[in-house]
Amino acid sequence: MREELVWLDEEVRRPTNPLQASLEFVGALGLLLFASGRALLQGRIEVRETLHQMAFIGAASAPIVALTSAFTGAVVTLYSASLLVDVGGGGFVGGAIALAMTRELAPILTGIMVTARCGSAIAAQLGTMKITEQVDALRALAVSPIQYLVIPRVLAALAMFPLLCMIANFSGVGGGWVVANAFGISANSFLQSIRLLTEPFDLIGGLIKTLVFALIVTLVSCQQGLGTRGGAAGVGHATTRAVVLSMVLIFAANYFLADLLFATR
Amino acid sequence: MSKTPALETRQLVYAVDGKTILKGIDLRVEYGEVVGIMGASGSGKTTLLKCLCGLLKPTGGEVWVEGVNIAPLSERERMPMRLRLGIVFQYAALFDFLTVYQNVAFGLERHRRLSQQQIRAIVRERLEWVGLENVEHLYPSQLSGGMRKRVGLARALAMDPHIVLFDEPTSGLDPVNAYQIDRLITRLNRELNLTAVVVSHDVVSLMRTTHHIAMVDAGQIIAEGTPDAIRHSEHPKVQAFLKMASAEAL
Repeated sequence: MREELVWLDEEVRRPTNPLQASLEFVGALGLLLFASGRALLQGRIEVRETLHQMAFIGAASAPIVALTSAFTGAVVTLYSASLLVDVGGGGFVGGAIALAMTRELAPILTGIMVTARCGSAIAAQLGTMKITEQVDALRALAVSPIQYLVIPRVLAALAMFPLLCMIANFSGVGGGWVVANAFGISANSFLQSIRLLTEPFDLIGGLIKTLVFALIVTLVSCQQGLGTRGGAAGVGHATTRAVVLSMVLIFAANYFLADLLFATR
Repeated sequence: MSKTPALETRQLVYAVDGKTILKGIDLRVEYGEVVGIMGASGSGKTTLLKCLCGLLKPTGGEVWVEGVNIAPLSERERMPMRLRLGIVFQYAALFDFLTVYQNVAFGLERHRRLSQQQIRAIVRERLEWVGLENVEHLYPSQLSGGMRKRVGLARALAMDPHIVLFDEPTSGLDPVNAYQIDRLITRLNRELNLTAVVVSHDVVSLMRTTHHIAMVDAGQIIAEGTPDAIRHSEHPKVQAFLKMASAEAL
Protein backbone atom coordinates (compact mmCIF):
# COMPACT_ATOMS: atom_id res chain seq x y z
CA MET A 1 0.00 0.00 0.00
CA ARG A 2 1.58 3.27 -1.09
CA GLU A 3 0.89 5.76 1.72
CA GLU A 4 2.54 8.58 -0.23
CA LEU A 5 -0.28 8.45 -2.79
CA VAL A 6 -2.38 10.30 -0.18
CA TRP A 7 -0.13 13.38 -0.50
CA LEU A 8 0.48 13.41 -4.23
CA ASP A 9 3.50 15.23 -5.59
CA GLU A 10 2.96 18.83 -6.72
CA GLU A 11 3.98 17.78 -10.25
CA VAL A 12 1.06 15.35 -10.59
CA ARG A 13 -1.65 17.04 -12.64
CA ARG A 14 -5.19 17.15 -11.27
CA PRO A 15 -7.47 15.09 -13.55
CA THR A 16 -9.79 17.18 -15.70
CA ASN A 17 -12.12 14.30 -16.54
CA PRO A 18 -14.88 14.12 -13.85
CA LEU A 19 -14.88 10.30 -13.84
CA GLN A 20 -11.11 10.20 -13.39
CA ALA A 21 -11.35 12.87 -10.65
CA SER A 22 -14.05 10.84 -8.85
CA LEU A 23 -11.94 7.69 -9.05
CA GLU A 24 -8.90 9.57 -7.73
CA PHE A 25 -10.99 10.89 -4.81
CA VAL A 26 -12.43 7.47 -3.94
CA GLY A 27 -9.00 5.84 -4.23
CA ALA A 28 -7.26 8.46 -2.10
CA LEU A 29 -10.02 8.34 0.53
CA GLY A 30 -9.82 4.54 0.65
CA LEU A 31 -6.03 4.68 1.02
CA LEU A 32 -6.32 7.25 3.79
CA LEU A 33 -8.93 5.20 5.62
CA PHE A 34 -6.76 2.09 5.36
CA ALA A 35 -3.57 3.89 6.38
CA SER A 36 -5.34 5.59 9.30
CA GLY A 37 -6.75 2.30 10.54
CA ARG A 38 -3.33 0.67 10.34
CA ALA A 39 -1.59 3.63 12.00
CA LEU A 40 -4.17 3.62 14.77
CA LEU A 41 -3.62 -0.06 15.46
CA GLN A 42 0.17 0.08 15.26
CA GLY A 43 1.36 3.48 16.28
CA ARG A 44 1.30 5.76 19.23
CA ILE A 45 -1.30 8.49 19.67
CA GLU A 46 -0.29 12.15 19.69
CA VAL A 47 -2.14 12.96 22.92
CA ARG A 48 -1.39 16.70 23.00
CA GLU A 49 -2.48 17.20 19.39
CA THR A 50 -5.61 15.07 19.93
CA LEU A 51 -6.63 17.18 22.97
CA HIS A 52 -6.01 20.34 20.97
CA GLN A 53 -8.24 19.05 18.17
CA MET A 54 -10.92 18.00 20.69
CA ALA A 55 -11.03 21.58 21.93
CA PHE A 56 -11.21 22.89 18.37
CA ILE A 57 -13.79 20.44 17.02
CA GLY A 58 -15.79 19.99 20.20
CA ALA A 59 -15.68 22.85 22.69
CA ALA A 60 -15.37 25.63 20.11
CA SER A 61 -18.19 24.20 17.96
CA ALA A 62 -20.64 23.73 20.84
CA PRO A 63 -22.13 27.28 20.86
CA ILE A 64 -22.84 27.32 17.13
CA VAL A 65 -24.31 23.79 17.19
CA ALA A 66 -26.50 24.74 20.18
CA LEU A 67 -27.68 27.95 18.52
CA THR A 68 -28.56 26.44 15.12
CA SER A 69 -30.24 23.45 16.75
CA ALA A 70 -32.33 25.67 19.02
CA PHE A 71 -33.64 27.65 16.05
CA THR A 72 -34.22 24.49 14.02
CA GLY A 73 -36.18 22.92 16.89
CA ALA A 74 -38.15 26.14 17.23
CA VAL A 75 -39.07 26.38 13.54
CA VAL A 76 -40.03 22.69 13.29
CA THR A 77 -42.26 23.17 16.34
CA LEU A 78 -43.73 26.30 14.77
CA TYR A 79 -44.97 24.27 11.78
CA SER A 80 -45.93 21.09 13.62
CA ALA A 81 -47.68 22.85 16.51
CA SER A 82 -49.74 25.07 14.23
CA LEU A 83 -50.97 21.93 12.41
CA LEU A 84 -51.34 19.57 15.38
CA VAL A 85 -53.03 22.05 17.73
CA ASP A 86 -55.70 22.71 15.04
CA VAL A 87 -56.58 19.01 14.85
CA GLY A 88 -56.39 18.48 18.61
CA GLY A 89 -53.01 16.81 18.57
CA GLY A 90 -51.14 19.42 20.64
CA GLY A 91 -50.21 16.70 23.09
CA PHE A 92 -47.94 15.08 20.47
CA VAL A 93 -45.82 18.12 19.66
CA GLY A 94 -43.08 17.39 22.22
CA GLY A 95 -42.72 13.80 21.04
CA ALA A 96 -42.69 14.81 17.39
CA ILE A 97 -39.94 17.35 17.87
CA ALA A 98 -37.90 15.02 20.10
CA LEU A 99 -38.19 12.23 17.53
CA ALA A 100 -37.17 14.54 14.69
CA MET A 101 -34.23 15.93 16.64
CA THR A 102 -32.80 12.67 17.99
CA ARG A 103 -33.15 10.62 14.80
CA GLU A 104 -32.46 13.21 12.11
CA LEU A 105 -31.96 16.87 12.82
CA ALA A 106 -29.40 16.80 15.64
CA PRO A 107 -26.98 14.39 13.89
CA ILE A 108 -27.33 16.19 10.55
CA LEU A 109 -26.97 19.66 12.05
CA THR A 110 -23.90 18.52 13.98
CA GLY A 111 -22.39 17.11 10.79
CA ILE A 112 -23.17 20.21 8.73
CA MET A 113 -22.05 22.77 11.31
CA VAL A 114 -18.80 20.96 12.08
CA THR A 115 -18.12 20.54 8.35
CA ALA A 116 -18.63 24.26 7.80
CA ARG A 117 -16.58 25.27 10.81
CA CYS A 118 -13.89 22.60 11.17
CA GLY A 119 -13.84 20.64 7.88
CA SER A 120 -12.95 23.80 5.98
CA ALA A 121 -10.32 24.75 8.56
CA ILE A 122 -8.75 21.27 8.50
CA ALA A 123 -8.52 21.28 4.69
CA ALA A 124 -7.10 24.81 4.64
CA GLN A 125 -4.54 24.11 7.36
CA LEU A 126 -3.33 20.83 5.88
CA GLY A 127 -3.39 22.33 2.37
CA THR A 128 -1.22 25.22 3.51
CA MET A 129 1.12 22.80 5.27
CA LYS A 130 1.35 20.79 2.06
CA ILE A 131 2.21 23.70 -0.23
CA THR A 132 4.69 25.21 2.26
CA GLU A 133 6.49 21.83 2.54
CA GLN A 134 5.55 21.39 6.21
CA VAL A 135 4.11 17.95 5.36
CA ASP A 136 7.45 17.07 3.73
CA ALA A 137 9.22 18.45 6.83
CA LEU A 138 7.21 16.04 8.99
CA ARG A 139 8.21 13.14 6.75
CA ALA A 140 11.83 14.35 6.78
CA LEU A 141 11.73 14.14 10.59
CA ALA A 142 10.50 10.53 10.26
CA VAL A 143 7.01 11.42 11.49
CA SER A 144 4.08 10.09 9.50
CA PRO A 145 1.66 12.87 8.49
CA ILE A 146 -1.13 10.33 9.00
CA GLN A 147 0.01 9.69 12.56
CA TYR A 148 0.53 13.35 13.41
CA LEU A 149 -2.14 15.14 11.38
CA VAL A 150 -4.94 12.70 10.51
CA ILE A 151 -5.28 10.38 13.53
CA PRO A 152 -5.66 13.16 16.15
CA ARG A 153 -8.39 14.82 14.07
CA VAL A 154 -10.25 11.55 13.49
CA LEU A 155 -10.07 10.58 17.18
CA ALA A 156 -11.09 14.06 18.32
CA ALA A 157 -14.09 14.05 15.97
CA LEU A 158 -15.14 10.54 17.04
CA ALA A 159 -15.04 11.67 20.67
CA MET A 160 -16.71 15.05 20.23
CA PHE A 161 -19.43 14.44 17.59
CA PRO A 162 -21.69 12.43 19.95
CA LEU A 163 -21.29 15.11 22.64
CA LEU A 164 -22.14 17.85 20.15
CA CYS A 165 -25.12 15.80 19.02
CA MET A 166 -26.34 15.59 22.62
CA ILE A 167 -26.02 19.37 22.90
CA ALA A 168 -27.98 19.69 19.63
CA ASN A 169 -30.68 17.38 20.99
CA PHE A 170 -31.14 19.39 24.19
CA SER A 171 -31.01 22.75 22.39
CA GLY A 172 -33.42 21.64 19.65
CA VAL A 173 -35.96 20.23 22.08
CA GLY A 174 -35.47 23.31 24.29
CA GLY A 175 -36.09 25.63 21.34
CA GLY A 176 -39.18 23.60 20.46
CA TRP A 177 -40.45 23.78 24.02
CA VAL A 178 -40.25 27.60 24.03
CA VAL A 179 -42.36 27.77 20.84
CA ALA A 180 -44.77 25.05 22.06
CA ASN A 181 -45.33 27.19 25.15
CA ALA A 182 -46.44 30.04 22.93
CA PHE A 183 -49.04 27.68 21.41
CA GLY A 184 -50.40 26.96 24.88
CA ILE A 185 -48.86 23.49 25.20
CA SER A 186 -47.91 22.92 28.82
CA ALA A 187 -44.47 21.73 29.88
CA ASN A 188 -46.03 18.64 31.41
CA SER A 189 -47.85 17.70 28.20
CA PHE A 190 -44.67 18.42 26.17
CA LEU A 191 -42.53 16.12 28.34
CA GLN A 192 -45.27 13.50 28.55
CA SER A 193 -45.41 13.18 24.76
CA ILE A 194 -41.60 12.88 24.57
CA ARG A 195 -41.79 9.94 26.99
CA LEU A 196 -44.66 8.43 24.99
CA LEU A 197 -43.25 8.73 21.46
CA THR A 198 -39.51 8.27 21.86
CA GLU A 199 -37.37 5.43 23.11
CA PRO A 200 -33.68 5.23 24.07
CA PHE A 201 -32.67 3.77 20.69
CA ASP A 202 -33.81 6.96 18.94
CA LEU A 203 -31.07 8.77 20.84
CA ILE A 204 -28.52 5.96 20.45
CA GLY A 205 -29.21 5.60 16.72
CA GLY A 206 -28.66 9.33 16.23
CA LEU A 207 -25.38 9.15 18.12
CA ILE A 208 -24.25 6.19 15.97
CA LYS A 209 -24.93 8.31 12.88
CA THR A 210 -22.65 11.05 14.19
CA LEU A 211 -19.74 8.59 14.44
CA VAL A 212 -20.04 7.92 10.71
CA PHE A 213 -20.34 11.66 10.02
CA ALA A 214 -17.24 12.30 12.14
CA LEU A 215 -15.25 9.89 9.97
CA ILE A 216 -16.61 11.46 6.78
CA VAL A 217 -15.80 15.06 7.76
CA THR A 218 -12.29 14.40 9.07
CA LEU A 219 -11.17 11.91 6.43
CA VAL A 220 -12.52 13.94 3.49
CA SER A 221 -11.07 17.19 4.86
CA CYS A 222 -7.67 15.61 5.61
CA GLN A 223 -7.59 13.90 2.21
CA GLN A 224 -8.41 17.13 0.40
CA GLY A 225 -5.87 19.08 2.47
CA LEU A 226 -3.04 16.58 2.02
CA GLY A 227 -3.85 16.24 -1.69
CA THR A 228 -3.61 20.00 -2.31
CA ARG A 229 -1.74 20.99 -5.44
CA GLY A 230 -1.32 24.36 -7.12
CA GLY A 231 -0.38 26.94 -4.50
CA ALA A 232 -2.79 29.31 -2.75
CA ALA A 233 -5.53 28.74 -5.34
CA GLY A 234 -5.17 25.01 -4.72
CA VAL A 235 -5.79 25.55 -0.99
CA GLY A 236 -8.98 27.44 -1.83
CA HIS A 237 -10.17 24.64 -4.13
CA ALA A 238 -9.29 21.98 -1.55
CA THR A 239 -11.27 23.82 1.12
CA THR A 240 -14.33 24.19 -1.09
CA ARG A 241 -14.16 20.56 -2.20
CA ALA A 242 -13.75 19.36 1.41
CA VAL A 243 -16.93 21.16 2.48
CA VAL A 244 -19.02 20.19 -0.56
CA LEU A 245 -17.93 16.54 -0.62
CA SER A 246 -18.35 16.13 3.15
CA MET A 247 -21.88 17.54 3.05
CA VAL A 248 -22.93 15.41 0.07
CA LEU A 249 -21.49 12.29 1.70
CA ILE A 250 -23.17 13.13 5.02
CA PHE A 251 -26.59 13.41 3.36
CA ALA A 252 -26.04 10.20 1.38
CA ALA A 253 -24.79 8.30 4.43
CA ASN A 254 -27.69 9.66 6.47
CA TYR A 255 -30.21 8.03 4.13
CA PHE A 256 -28.54 4.62 4.34
CA LEU A 257 -28.04 4.89 8.11
CA ALA A 258 -31.68 5.91 8.61
CA ASP A 259 -32.72 2.89 6.57
CA LEU A 260 -30.41 0.61 8.52
CA LEU A 261 -31.14 1.95 12.01
CA PHE A 262 -34.74 3.13 11.99
CA ALA A 263 -36.67 1.84 8.96
CA THR A 264 -37.85 -1.32 10.66
CA ARG A 265 -38.62 0.30 14.02
CA MET B 1 37.86 8.51 3.01
CA SER B 2 35.35 5.72 3.52
CA LYS B 3 34.83 3.23 0.70
CA THR B 4 31.06 3.39 0.95
CA PRO B 5 29.90 6.84 -0.14
CA ALA B 6 27.52 8.82 2.06
CA LEU B 7 25.12 9.16 -0.86
CA GLU B 8 25.08 7.75 -4.34
CA THR B 9 22.64 7.67 -7.23
CA ARG B 10 22.93 5.25 -10.12
CA GLN B 11 21.00 5.98 -13.33
CA LEU B 12 18.35 7.78 -11.27
CA VAL B 13 15.15 8.46 -13.20
CA TYR B 14 12.10 10.35 -11.98
CA ALA B 15 9.09 10.74 -14.24
CA VAL B 16 5.62 11.99 -13.48
CA ASP B 17 2.56 12.38 -15.72
CA GLY B 18 4.56 11.31 -18.76
CA LYS B 19 7.22 13.99 -18.11
CA THR B 20 10.73 12.78 -17.32
CA ILE B 21 12.29 15.19 -14.82
CA LEU B 22 15.48 13.25 -14.03
CA LYS B 23 17.08 11.31 -16.87
CA GLY B 24 19.65 8.90 -15.49
CA ILE B 25 21.57 10.83 -12.82
CA ASP B 26 24.83 9.37 -11.49
CA LEU B 27 26.10 11.25 -8.45
CA ARG B 28 28.44 10.31 -5.61
CA VAL B 29 28.85 12.18 -2.33
CA GLU B 30 31.70 11.14 -0.04
CA TYR B 31 31.67 11.56 3.74
CA GLY B 32 32.86 14.98 4.89
CA GLU B 33 32.29 16.50 1.47
CA VAL B 34 30.07 19.45 0.56
CA VAL B 35 28.60 18.82 -2.88
CA GLY B 36 26.73 21.49 -4.79
CA ILE B 37 23.99 20.80 -7.32
CA MET B 38 23.74 23.79 -9.59
CA GLY B 39 21.18 24.53 -12.25
CA ALA B 40 18.50 26.87 -13.47
CA SER B 41 14.95 26.80 -12.13
CA GLY B 42 13.09 23.76 -13.45
CA SER B 43 16.27 21.84 -14.24
CA GLY B 44 15.34 19.08 -11.78
CA LYS B 45 17.73 19.85 -8.93
CA THR B 46 15.08 20.01 -6.16
CA THR B 47 13.52 16.80 -7.49
CA LEU B 48 16.99 15.21 -7.28
CA LEU B 49 17.31 16.40 -3.67
CA LYS B 50 13.89 14.98 -2.77
CA CYS B 51 14.84 11.63 -4.34
CA LEU B 52 18.10 11.63 -2.36
CA CYS B 53 16.24 11.93 0.94
CA GLY B 54 13.43 9.59 -0.02
CA LEU B 55 10.66 12.20 -0.11
CA LEU B 56 10.09 11.18 -3.74
CA LYS B 57 10.19 7.60 -4.94
CA PRO B 58 12.29 7.31 -8.09
CA THR B 59 10.71 5.66 -11.11
CA GLY B 60 14.03 4.11 -12.09
CA GLY B 61 17.61 3.62 -10.96
CA GLU B 62 19.04 3.45 -7.46
CA VAL B 63 19.56 5.82 -4.53
CA TRP B 64 22.10 4.61 -1.98
CA VAL B 65 22.12 6.27 1.45
CA GLU B 66 25.01 5.06 3.61
CA GLY B 67 25.12 1.74 1.79
CA VAL B 68 21.35 1.09 1.60
CA ASN B 69 19.41 1.36 -1.65
CA ILE B 70 16.29 3.26 -0.62
CA ALA B 71 14.67 3.36 -4.07
CA PRO B 72 12.58 0.20 -3.68
CA LEU B 73 11.66 0.85 -0.03
CA SER B 74 8.17 1.85 1.10
CA GLU B 75 7.42 5.10 2.94
CA ARG B 76 7.42 3.21 6.25
CA GLU B 77 10.71 1.43 5.48
CA ARG B 78 12.38 4.72 4.58
CA MET B 79 11.56 6.31 7.98
CA PRO B 80 14.66 5.05 9.90
CA MET B 81 16.95 6.27 7.10
CA ARG B 82 15.48 9.76 7.40
CA LEU B 83 16.75 10.02 10.96
CA ARG B 84 20.28 9.93 9.53
CA LEU B 85 19.54 12.79 7.14
CA GLY B 86 18.78 16.40 7.91
CA ILE B 87 16.88 18.49 5.39
CA VAL B 88 16.81 22.26 5.25
CA PHE B 89 13.92 23.31 3.04
CA GLN B 90 13.92 26.27 0.65
CA TYR B 91 11.49 28.30 2.77
CA ALA B 92 12.53 26.53 6.01
CA ALA B 93 9.14 24.73 6.26
CA LEU B 94 8.92 25.45 9.97
CA PHE B 95 5.70 24.26 11.62
CA ASP B 96 3.91 27.58 11.88
CA PHE B 97 1.70 26.48 14.80
CA LEU B 98 4.72 25.65 16.97
CA THR B 99 7.31 27.90 18.59
CA VAL B 100 10.98 27.87 17.61
CA TYR B 101 11.72 25.65 20.63
CA GLN B 102 8.96 23.18 19.74
CA ASN B 103 10.15 23.11 16.10
CA VAL B 104 13.75 22.27 17.04
CA ALA B 105 12.65 19.79 19.72
CA PHE B 106 10.07 18.11 17.44
CA GLY B 107 12.19 15.18 16.27
CA LEU B 108 13.94 14.73 19.62
CA GLU B 109 10.64 14.41 21.50
CA ARG B 110 9.48 11.68 19.14
CA HIS B 111 12.59 9.66 18.41
CA ARG B 112 14.99 10.03 21.34
CA ARG B 113 14.48 8.83 24.89
CA LEU B 114 15.60 12.06 26.54
CA SER B 115 14.43 14.05 29.53
CA GLN B 116 12.93 17.50 28.97
CA GLN B 117 16.10 18.96 30.50
CA GLN B 118 18.33 17.14 28.00
CA ILE B 119 16.08 18.20 25.11
CA ARG B 120 16.21 21.81 26.31
CA ALA B 121 20.02 21.65 26.41
CA ILE B 122 20.24 20.24 22.86
CA VAL B 123 17.80 22.82 21.48
CA ARG B 124 19.79 25.68 23.09
CA GLU B 125 23.06 24.28 21.75
CA ARG B 126 21.77 23.85 18.18
CA LEU B 127 20.31 27.35 18.20
CA GLU B 128 23.67 28.66 19.40
CA TRP B 129 25.42 26.79 16.58
CA VAL B 130 23.33 28.71 14.07
CA GLY B 131 23.83 31.99 15.92
CA LEU B 132 20.39 32.38 17.48
CA GLU B 133 19.64 33.17 21.09
CA ASN B 134 16.49 34.08 23.01
CA VAL B 135 14.17 33.14 20.17
CA GLU B 136 12.83 29.86 21.62
CA HIS B 137 9.47 31.36 22.53
CA LEU B 138 8.86 33.04 19.15
CA TYR B 139 6.66 31.67 16.37
CA PRO B 140 8.02 31.36 12.80
CA SER B 141 5.86 34.27 11.65
CA GLN B 142 7.78 36.52 14.05
CA LEU B 143 11.15 35.70 12.45
CA SER B 144 12.96 37.17 9.44
CA GLY B 145 13.68 34.98 6.38
CA GLY B 146 17.32 34.48 7.42
CA MET B 147 16.36 33.56 10.97
CA ARG B 148 13.77 31.07 9.71
CA LYS B 149 16.41 29.35 7.59
CA ARG B 150 18.74 29.15 10.56
CA VAL B 151 15.98 27.67 12.74
CA GLY B 152 15.32 25.17 9.92
CA LEU B 153 19.02 24.25 10.03
CA ALA B 154 18.96 23.97 13.85
CA ARG B 155 15.93 21.64 13.57
CA ALA B 156 17.79 19.50 11.01
CA LEU B 157 20.93 19.41 13.18
CA ALA B 158 19.02 18.51 16.37
CA MET B 159 18.88 14.86 15.39
CA ASP B 160 22.68 14.66 14.81
CA PRO B 161 22.32 13.72 11.14
CA HIS B 162 25.24 12.24 9.22
CA ILE B 163 24.28 14.15 6.08
CA VAL B 164 22.45 17.47 5.65
CA LEU B 165 20.65 18.38 2.44
CA PHE B 166 20.08 22.07 1.72
CA ASP B 167 17.46 23.21 -0.77
CA GLU B 168 18.29 26.72 -2.01
CA PRO B 169 19.75 27.84 1.35
CA THR B 170 20.43 31.41 0.22
CA SER B 171 17.44 32.12 -2.02
CA GLY B 172 15.40 35.12 -0.96
CA LEU B 173 18.12 36.35 1.40
CA ASP B 174 20.05 39.62 1.25
CA PRO B 175 23.83 39.27 0.59
CA VAL B 176 24.72 39.62 4.28
CA ASN B 177 22.32 36.87 5.40
CA ALA B 178 23.32 34.71 2.42
CA TYR B 179 26.98 35.08 3.40
CA GLN B 180 26.18 34.11 6.99
CA ILE B 181 24.39 30.95 5.84
CA ASP B 182 27.35 30.06 3.59
CA ARG B 183 29.79 30.56 6.48
CA LEU B 184 27.57 28.40 8.67
CA ILE B 185 27.65 25.52 6.15
CA THR B 186 31.43 25.81 5.83
CA ARG B 187 31.91 25.98 9.61
CA LEU B 188 29.68 22.96 10.26
CA ASN B 189 31.54 20.99 7.60
CA ARG B 190 34.91 21.95 9.05
CA GLU B 191 34.08 21.57 12.75
CA LEU B 192 31.66 18.61 12.66
CA ASN B 193 32.91 16.99 9.44
CA LEU B 194 29.31 17.30 8.24
CA THR B 195 28.52 15.86 4.83
CA ALA B 196 26.27 18.21 2.88
CA VAL B 197 24.48 18.48 -0.43
CA VAL B 198 23.59 22.03 -1.40
CA VAL B 199 21.07 22.56 -4.18
CA SER B 200 21.21 26.12 -5.47
CA HIS B 201 21.25 28.40 -8.46
CA ASP B 202 23.38 30.85 -6.47
CA VAL B 203 26.76 30.38 -8.13
CA VAL B 204 28.66 32.67 -5.74
CA SER B 205 27.35 30.74 -2.75
CA LEU B 206 28.18 27.34 -4.27
CA MET B 207 31.68 28.45 -5.24
CA ARG B 208 32.50 29.44 -1.67
CA THR B 209 30.89 26.53 0.20
CA THR B 210 31.35 23.37 -1.87
CA HIS B 211 34.17 20.95 -2.66
CA HIS B 212 32.47 19.52 -5.71
CA ILE B 213 29.74 20.85 -8.02
CA ALA B 214 27.42 19.00 -10.42
CA MET B 215 25.63 21.12 -13.00
CA VAL B 216 22.14 19.83 -13.80
CA ASP B 217 20.36 20.79 -16.99
CA ALA B 218 17.07 19.31 -18.23
CA GLY B 219 17.32 16.41 -15.77
CA GLN B 220 20.90 15.44 -16.60
CA ILE B 221 24.31 16.20 -15.13
CA ILE B 222 26.12 18.01 -17.90
CA ALA B 223 29.31 18.89 -16.00
CA GLU B 224 30.88 18.17 -12.64
CA GLY B 225 34.08 18.82 -10.77
CA THR B 226 35.68 21.15 -8.27
CA PRO B 227 34.43 24.76 -8.18
CA ASP B 228 37.54 25.74 -10.15
CA ALA B 229 36.94 23.06 -12.77
CA ILE B 230 33.35 24.23 -13.18
CA ARG B 231 34.46 27.84 -13.42
CA HIS B 232 36.79 26.87 -16.29
CA SER B 233 34.44 24.36 -17.92
CA GLU B 234 34.14 24.79 -21.64
CA HIS B 235 30.62 23.37 -21.78
CA PRO B 236 28.55 26.11 -23.48
CA LYS B 237 25.58 25.70 -21.11
CA VAL B 238 27.83 25.93 -18.04
CA GLN B 239 29.50 29.03 -19.43
CA ALA B 240 26.15 30.60 -20.28
CA PHE B 241 24.83 29.85 -16.79
CA LEU B 242 27.92 31.27 -15.08
CA LYS B 243 27.80 34.38 -17.24
CA MET B 244 24.13 34.97 -16.50
CA ALA B 245 24.70 34.29 -12.80
CA SER B 246 27.63 36.71 -12.54
CA ALA B 247 25.67 39.38 -14.46
CA GLU B 248 22.80 38.87 -12.02
CA ALA B 249 25.17 39.10 -9.06
CA LEU B 250 26.35 42.51 -10.27
